[in-house]
Amino acid sequence: MRPQLPTLDLVPLYPLLVVTGWAVLVLLADLFVQHKRALGYLALTGVIVAAVVTVALWPGVPTSFQNMAISDGQALFFNLVFLVTGALGLLVAIEYLERKDLQRGEYYALLMFSLAGMIAMAAAEDLLIVFLGLEMMSVALYVLSGSNQRDMSSIEAAMKYFILGSFASAFFLYGIALTYAAAGSTNLAQIGSWLSGRGIPKDPVALTGLSLLLVGFGFKVALVPFHWWTPDVYQGAPTSVTAFMSVGAKAAGFATLTRVLYSAFSPTFTTDWVTVAAVLAAVTMTFGNLAALVQRDVKRLLGYSSIAHAGYVLVGIAAASPVGVRGMLFYILAYAFMTAGAFAVACAVERREQSTTTLADYAGLAQRSPLLAAAMLLFMLSLIGIPPLIGFWSKLFVFRAAVEANLAWLAVLGVLNSALSAYYYAGVVVQMYLREPGRSPAEEVAFRPWRSALAVAVFLAAAATVVLGLWPGAVVNLLMGV
Amino acid sequence: MAIEQALQIFVFVILTLMTLGGGLAVVTSRNLFHAALSLILSLAGVVGYYVLLDAGFLAIVQLLIYIGAISILILFSIMLTRGLMTPRQVQRNEQWWIAALVVFLTFVVLIVALWQMVWPIADDEALRTPNVAISQLGEALVGPYAIPFEIISVLLLVALVGAIVLARETENNQGSHAEAGSSE
Amino acid sequence: MAIPLSWWLTVAAALFAIGLYGVLSRRNAIGVLLGIELMLNAANINLVAFWRFITPQALTGQVFAIFVIGIAAAEAAAGLAIIISAYRRRRTVVVDELDTMRW
Repeated sequence: MRPQLPTLDLVPLYPLLVVTGWAVLVLLADLFVQHKRALGYLALTGVIVAAVVTVALWPGVPTSFQNMAISDGQALFFNLVFLVTGALGLLVAIEYLERKDLQRGEYYALLMFSLAGMIAMAAAEDLLIVFLGLEMMSVALYVLSGSNQRDMSSIEAAMKYFILGSFASAFFLYGIALTYAAAGSTNLAQIGSWLSGRGIPKDPVALTGLSLLLVGFGFKVALVPFHWWTPDVYQGAPTSVTAFMSVGAKAAGFATLTRVLYSAFSPTFTTDWVTVAAVLAAVTMTFGNLAALVQRDVKRLLGYSSIAHAGYVLVGIAAASPVGVRGMLFYILAYAFMTAGAFAVACAVERREQSTTTLADYAGLAQRSPLLAAAMLLFMLSLIGIPPLIGFWSKLFVFRAAVEANLAWLAVLGVLNSALSAYYYAGVVVQMYLREPGRSPAEEVAFRPWRSALAVAVFLAAAATVVLGLWPGAVVNLLMGV
Repeated sequence: MAIEQALQIFVFVILTLMTLGGGLAVVTSRNLFHAALSLILSLAGVVGYYVLLDAGFLAIVQLLIYIGAISILILFSIMLTRGLMTPRQVQRNEQWWIAALVVFLTFVVLIVALWQMVWPIADDEALRTPNVAISQLGEALVGPYAIPFEIISVLLLVALVGAIVLARETENNQGSHAEAGSSE
Repeated sequence: MAIPLSWWLTVAAALFAIGLYGVLSRRNAIGVLLGIELMLNAANINLVAFWRFITPQALTGQVFAIFVIGIAAAEAAAGLAIIISAYRRRRTVVVDELDTMRW
């Protein structure tokens, strides 16, 4: 008997295929290309091609690939976020690796593989694809975190990330097993219809499975109390990697979290996960901001800030409404530009022999490099949520969704938290604009606008922060179609 | 029939002793090398479980990959990273009793949930004839599971590339690890 | 089947708990990894048991378990490379174990 091969409808997989194929291409080109910098640009081309493909598929492909992967509006929007992050991460890396003498072809290939994992996660319709995408993203990120072999903190970061990441995967897998037990399937839509179709309102095993899945997600997107690895890993990893993973890994985690909660565990378990998400959001943003207050190291500070922002994103999820999802999507896009931009500035300020930057390194940055300081100022203001920057709208959308969902206390707490966060973001600004440069001039930042890839990354992120802040309608219109 | 059932239960008990006993030795043994050897014992118990559960192919996969590859890899790593296999002083950290508490609570929650559940067990006919043909598994891997199959091959490539990137000595490593490199 | 589903689930839960204890209590990175392997195996026992008792006609559980073993191999390869790399780097600086993991 010859196996009957199915007819393949590959259209929903195009973004994934482009990125994966291109990553292999970069890996092969590495054998022949002497100037590894060129591989960075090759990878960047691939990311742009994938972005074009993603836009061409907008507003979504109706068919799914064998009930495994789908490219609906939400997946495509997340693809754009990943690809923007990937492009910024590549631009940053091209320059940063050169300065650190770490230029390697595999770096770019692994970054693209990690992107492919994220895209798979966002497109997943089955827990198997979720798990595989998660692992592909994570394994590539573990290695990237440890890619600076001369720096012990980089290797330590890789080890911590690996241990915590695989620990989280084990929880996640156990959660999948229990969910499969309760629903007899690993397909998200089938789980959803089975769980809501049964007479038993609260299946204890599905509930346990959901909790274990949430623990796994909590580790991956760094929610308090599963966050404690984050500052160490973000600080220890090469700054170009931090810029990429602080956004990409989190966005991918939220992409699947949304899908799992909304299609598999709704509506039967909605009240349960809304409560959990709301409490986690409150704890996460409060703790992240409080811990960031006392940081002297800027990468660490941004690490805690990213924990706080995961809390704000979760507010959008807790709203459990289309408005909340759209707010969350907008927030993640905003977060991508602000955070990747801020880490890109940190790359520029970091000196060759350092592996991180303290607040003191930013003293007098406005005098040394006015444009860089201006960009950082924009990112900080946007992260606080000052209008008319993009960060303001993102917070407005998620908080409004929370109010509409009768979670006004969460919105109030979020606003209070934003005020609290102003304190430490302003600390960076004060250093840049009000302190005298403490360094000898020879060690100043070599930052030549328009001539370096890093400058392009900072400029793009800053431009998006302002332009999308002034005209948020463009993104909102896009999101209405999701 | 009764004899067969009794035999199955007997085998199950032996396998459970192997799996859980091995597991306990993995997490409590002071000597990490012994811990890794106990892991093999525990994994072998799991192989037996798969046979009892009529998942023969999976038992072979477990034997070849988990015991044959992963455990051996771990054993190599232990030998590479400690040089000596002498028993070490303290293997557990200071918070081990908090860990024990967390673990106990997790276990209780799991057991309560699992035992409360009314399982939608398949009917007798289906239970007697599980779907085990290897050819069906193979067809599934190129049919409905084609895309996961492709993704896992890329994942293995990523792990391979990543391991080489990390294990390879960089040219800039000032030769201080020359002798470490020879032990690879 | 002489052995009811709940037995399998209990054994799997116990193995998961043992692995969890290993992860939380070990100081050595490889020791932690051993615990993680136990947890993955516990999940796999669950998957296979559920396949056997709940959906014996569909392949989901078995196929999933095969994928998990493959993923575990990939994870172990990358993870052990990281651990060895850390050891190699550290041995020249501090003659101690990989005790940098402070929880």
